Formats: sequence, C-alpha cells, structure tokens
Amino acid sequence: MIVRTAAVGVIQSALNAVEAERQFINDLNVYPVPDGDTGTNMALTVRAVVEELEQSEVTDIPSVAAAVTKGSLMGARGNSGVILSQIVRGICDVWGQANSLDTAVFKQAVLEGQQAAYRAVKTPVEGTMLTVIREMATAAQAVPDGFGLEHLLAAVEEAGRIAVDNTTAQLPALQKAGVVDAGGYGLLVLFRGLSDGIEDLMRGGKLVAGARLAARAAAHATVGAVGGRRSEAKRAVTVEEPSELSEYRYCTSFLISGDAIDREALEAFLLPIGDSALVVGDERTVKVHVHVNDPGVVLTEALKHGAIGDIEINDMHAQTRERDERLASAPEVGEGGTVVVAVVAGAGNQQLFRDLGCHAIVDGGQSMNPSAAQLLNAVQELGVEEVVILPNNGNVILTAEQAAGMSSLHIAVVPSSSIPGGLAAMVAFDPDEDAVGNARLMQDAIVDVRYAEVTHAVRDSELDGLEVKQGQAMAIVDGRLVAVSDDIESAFGGVLEEFARGGAEYVTVLTALNGWGTTREQLEELAARVAPDAEVSFHEGGQPLYPILASAE
Amino acid sequence: MTELLTLENTAIVLDSTCDPADGWLDQPGLYMVPLKVHFGDQMFRDGIDMTYKEFFAKLEQSEILPTTSQPTAGEFVATYEEARKHYEHVFSLHLSGEMSGTVRAAEQAAEQFDNVYVYDMRTVTTALSLCAERLRARLAQGCTLEEARAYVEYFRDNSNLLVHAATLEYLRRGGRIGRAASLVGGVFDIKPLIMAEDGTLTGYAKVRGLKKAMAAIQRFVEERSEPDDQLYFCLIDAVNDEEPPLIREMIERIRPNAHYTFQGHVAAVVGTHIGPGTAAFAMIVE
Repeated sequence: MIVRTAAVGVIQSALNAVEAERQFINDLNVYPVPDGDTGTNMALTVRAVVEELEQSEVTDIPSVAAAVTKGSLMGARGNSGVILSQIVRGICDVWGQANSLDTAVFKQAVLEGQQAAYRAVKTPVEGTMLTVIREMATAAQAVPDGFGLEHLLAAVEEAGRIAVDNTTAQLPALQKAGVVDAGGYGLLVLFRGLSDGIEDLMRGGKLVAGARLAARAAAHATVGAVGGRRSEAKRAVTVEEPSELSEYRYCTSFLISGDAIDREALEAFLLPIGDSALVVGDERTVKVHVHVNDPGVVLTEALKHGAIGDIEINDMHAQTRERDERLASAPEVGEGGTVVVAVVAGAGNQQLFRDLGCHAIVDGGQSMNPSAAQLLNAVQELGVEEVVILPNNGNVILTAEQAAGMSSLHIAVVPSSSIPGGLAAMVAFDPDEDAVGNARLMQDAIVDVRYAEVTHAVRDSELDGLEVKQGQAMAIVDGRLVAVSDDIESAFGGVLEEFARGGAEYVTVLTALNGWGTTREQLEELAARVAPDAEVSFHEGGQPLYPILASAE
Repeated sequence: MTELLTLENTAIVLDSTCDPADGWLDQPGLYMVPLKVHFGDQMFRDGIDMTYKEFFAKLEQSEILPTTSQPTAGEFVATYEEARKHYEHVFSLHLSGEMSGTVRAAEQAAEQFDNVYVYDMRTVTTALSLCAERLRARLAQGCTLEEARAYVEYFRDNSNLLVHAATLEYLRRGGRIGRAASLVGGVFDIKPLIMAEDGTLTGYAKVRGLKKAMAAIQRFVEERSEPDDQLYFCLIDAVNDEEPPLIREMIERIRPNAHYTFQGHVAAVVGTHIGPGTAAFAMIVE
C-alpha cells in the first residue's frame, strides 16, 4: 500500500471520529469564547489535510508528511484548529525526517508536536488542549522504545483521557459551565480515531476506517467505562443563563503568502489590539488567527507582509448567542426514553427535525454519506438505550442497519429514503413509546408517502424514455423521471401534476432556491394553480444540490 | 311516592369554562359562576365582561399573556344561595379538578347547603354545557334524584372531548397539558388532536392538514361509538368557522342517529389556555 493511501485512511479515521462528535465538541466550547465552533473548526482543519493528500500525488513519507503539514496549516480554522495545525506540524517534521514510524519515532514526534504548539501560543493557559497534548507527550516518553506501537498509543490515549477530565478543575470558565475543555476533548477524540486507523493498518494492512471506533463506542455504552463518563458529560452541557460576551468580537483568520514574512513583527502588532493571537507557518506561508474588534486593521497590516487569502471573520457575539439558543432548545427525552438520530443535510431541514423532537442530527446525505461509526457515536453520545435511526437516504439505510448491528442498545432503523420521508416519520414519533413501537408508528407513517426531487442534469442522457440535456431541470418522482425542462419551475410543475394525478392531499415542499432563478412565491402560485385540491406547505430546507425536495401524502 | 326532579324545582350551576352557545345560559334554572382572566392589572369576569370575540381580539393585540384565576368559595356560596331561593335541588357541574381548583371551591361552598350536588366532570369547555343540556332533557320529563345523579355520573365517565388545537403553545405556557406535553404542535404545520382523559388533556394524534385531521376525527368517533348509537354531540370553536360544520357533517353521515345540540364558543379562560383557531366537539352515547 502506498504511504499516501495509508495516511489518507488513518487521517480519515481521525476525521470520522471528530465529525461524529463535532456537535458535542461545539457544545462544550466555553473557553476562551463560548462561540460553540471548536468541533467544526477542528473537523474542517482535519478535512483540509485529507483533501490536500487526496489531490497530491506524492508517495514517499517525507513528501506525505510535508503535504499533511501544508494541508493543516492552510485549512486551520479557529484557535483550536491553528494550535492543532502546529501539533500536526511538529509530528510531521519528526516523521518526515525519520522516514519511518515506530515507537521511538512516535515518541519523539508527539514531543515535537507539543513543543510546536507551545511555541505558537504567546501565553499558554493550563486546562486547554495545550495541557492535554503535554500530558500525552509526557506519557509517551515513559514508554520504552522496545514496546510495540499499540502500547504507546494506548498509554498516550489514557493520559489524554485523564488530562481532559482534569481540565474542568483547571480553568474557572470550565468549572462554572461544568464541562471539560472543548479543544482538549477534540484532540483526544481525534487521537482515538487516529490510533484506531493506525491499529487497523497494522493489523492486516486492510483499513476499516472507524470500524473499531464504532465497536468501542458500543463497548463503552455497555460497560459504561470511559464512554459512560462521556455520556454524563454530554447531558451536562446546558445553559442556565446567557453566556458572557467576549471582550473582542471578531474571530479573524487568514493566510499570508510572501517571500520573507516577519512573523514576529506581525505578532507584536497583534498582541496589543486583541487576544488569542496565533501567527504560525514559515517565511513563505503564514496562518494568522486573532480575536479583535477591528479586523480591517489586521488585514491592512497583513498586506504589508504579502498577499492575503482564505479570510474568515466570525462574529463571536452572534455565535455565543446561537450556542446558548441551541443548547436551550434541545428536546427532552420522553417517558419511553426513546430518542431519534437522523441523517439530514441542510440547516432548515435540520431545524425541522429538531423542532419535531429529533435529538441528534448527523450531517450528511446524498453527497456525503456518514459512516456507521459516526452514527454509532451520535447514538452513544445521547446515553440512552432506546434509539430510532432515520437514514433519510437510500445509500445510508445499510450503514444505519450496520451501526444497529454493532451495538447492544435497542436501535431500530426506520428505512426512510428521503428527507421529506424522514419528516413524515418524525411527525409520527412518540417519545413515550419504546424504539420498536416507534419504528412501527414511523414506518406506517411513510408507507404511502410519495417522494420527489428537482435538480439539474449533470450530463446528457436518456432516462425513462425522456431525453435530458446537461443543465436541464429534471423532475423525479419515486425514482422515475417524469418531466424535463429548461427551468426548475416547470419541472416542479411536473412534480405537482404527478402528485395531483395520484390524489395527493398534503404536499410538503423543502426548498433551497438560492441561485436557481425562482422564488418561493412563484412556486406557491404554481402549486395553487396545478394542484388546487392539495394543501401545500413550503419550508426552507437549505439542502445542497436539490433546489426542491417534496413529498405527497 | 318519590319526589320527581323537574326543570321547575332543579337548577344547574356551571362555571364559565362551560363555554356555552349564544343565549343558551339565559334559560331559567341555569347559573354560571365566572372564572377570571387577568391582562396584567386588568381583570375581566369570564363570559360576562367581554364577549369571546372581544377576548380573542384583545389576546391578539396584547403583548402580555393573560393569566386566569378560579372563583372563590364565597362566590359559589352567593350563587347557591340565590339558586336555592328558587329551586329545591342544585346540580353544580365543573371542569376537571386536574385543570383548576374551581370544583374544590364549589365543594367547600356546598358544605353549607342541603341538596347541592357538586361534580368534578373530568372534562372541560362545552362538554359541561352538553351534560347540563342532557340533564335538562331528563328534568323536562321528570326523573328521580337517583336517576339524575346516575346520568351525571354516566356522562362524567363516558363522554368524550376531542380538541383540534391550532397550536400547543398556549396549553404549554399555561402548564395545563398533562401527558400531551411531549406532543409537538405548531411546528411543521402540525395541529395536534388532544382529548380529555383521566381529567387531563392527552395527545390523540398528530396530524398535518385538514383532510388528515378529519380522517383522524372520524376514527375517534368510530372507535368510541357504534353505527346505530344514539349519540348526542356539541360543537366547539375558538374563532374557527371552517371546521365545526365539517365535523357536524361527518358525524351525522357516519352516525345516522346522531343528535346535534349546539355550538359553544370558547371564552376567555379556556381561550387563554387553548389559543385561537381551535375547533373541538364533545359527545355522549346514550
């Protein structure tokens, strides 16, 4: 197996682990600013590494290590992401130079990772991911070189777990909120995924990204060991009173490319005007992260050092309020103790599922199918025995069943193959019933639901006797192409006609019309004309690729 | 020979949550004790100081959510005194003790009187009026005290109330919702059907769209009556003109022996907890 493929597999395993706990890590995020984005930032940083590796063609260890470093630096987002990129950089520097990986190399690599992280932060604070990486690196040094890599990984993970648990007592902000540090916990989750990937690789060269993670998640749920603790922590993330807003409002990060970037000068400029300042990289590429009240000043200064790109500015006050609202509105578990985990794409759709009482959303769908490990982790995080999974996509049903098979919990999979179908199932959800009872109710609710989607053809083709040209709008009802036209409005008309022919009484339309050249008002008018006998209800779904998803009952 | 109870010697006392049909309470022998609704410092006697239409108009404009309060035992004492001046017997029929302390105030007051029979009817709104109306039908022909009491108890144990709420928001805010609390209402156009059960309100079905609601309402009637049953029913609305006629048409279609009595209008107190846009009906198989 070439090095790059193996590295992609291992890092993908780490990414899966972080993705599965992304929302939980977001919820934990109270320090330095309760903006609730640590999980997202870390996931995006790791994803950038995977993408960098996938598009590069390097094969030897030094080049792969360099690509990983580059990907993490370029993709680093937020405080935690930038610090993570420095840990990655330290590890990869050692790995690349050694041109091999064994216990001795890994020990050195983690140590260098820790040191790189500390170097990047002007005033290190204990009780953060810095503490966690330091404890992990220290534990690594205690493992004799002659021991196998799996021993080292286990020792480092255990040290990380203890360090994460201790963060609560180390930082007043964490203590007040009763949580562990988000970045530290994220780092532990990432490391678990990483070491699972490495062990899979060692075990047979065959990589089953995240499979062990899933198995362990299930084991934890039964034994109630580490996983049990985490479930306790999960339920503790609540907001009693509005979080305090940060002194500096805008989280600002960007890349500078130049010939001789003076990192120290830039850092000296940032320190008096903001906090959480990080200036990392080399003289040619630098990543800057800082919390300030005037991002403009920072960008103007950066221009003196080179060209700027990948600018990202987040209003942390707004993020803090969103986090408070999200945590305040989480549905409670009913008497039957049943919770629903749904795979949903699109912010509007996700909100609808939450409003209907869905407890955990796994982001994904048509273009990005979640893994069984992600589903299991989402289930396990809820710390509840009775679970219904709504896959909401034909390609995810099998994964969901696989996840259910791996777990000892009562997991029922309702084979919903579309988002509107999943919503129809959610309407029937009764939190006071157990998982099996709910599966029956929800399945009954979707049996007669018809499903339609409108999208653009990506290539010329002939389907169901209709000729389709690239870029044309296609109306697909129950998997069959029923209309082709040049605009999505007419295609939607085709859907409505088909629904009306079937005697539809209630039509649900989930829209994502931005950039598709039509408006909801136009579609509403069309619906009143084409399907006058049906009640049609529109909702902003926000799903990717499909401007319109619809169902008829 | 046993004394017969008649419309001439028997009065019925209700509270304002009986949400009566227009003018129905004006008949002799009917008394109503109002609960109260408060908009901030302003207090209104339910069903007396403002009409149901005025109330919902005010509810819509009001920035503060009104609160409600029960009558005092003293108010019941005054009403019973008045009723007993003219009538030998008094049946006092009230909304469920799970929903309000009204019936406890009535029981307390009744201790000072003979021949005042207080009932916790385990239900609410026009169902109370329907019970009074059916009791009046018996009084009109003359019946024994035992028969009258037996009927009220039969109604209490066997009547049904189904409410098609526009939203659960009001019920939830008022905390008057029992197990239906876990029902989702309002979001995703869901209008839940909730029924009176064990003196509280419980979810019956979650439905979207009028046709599905009508199908569920029909199922509710079919589950609780036989095709040939003598079924008495009343309609109830809180600013909803569309649904009550549909419900009536459906019940009369599937139950040829059904008898429509009247349509009550949800007044201020029940309206505060149930919100506008709601339709409902109550029925009893005799």
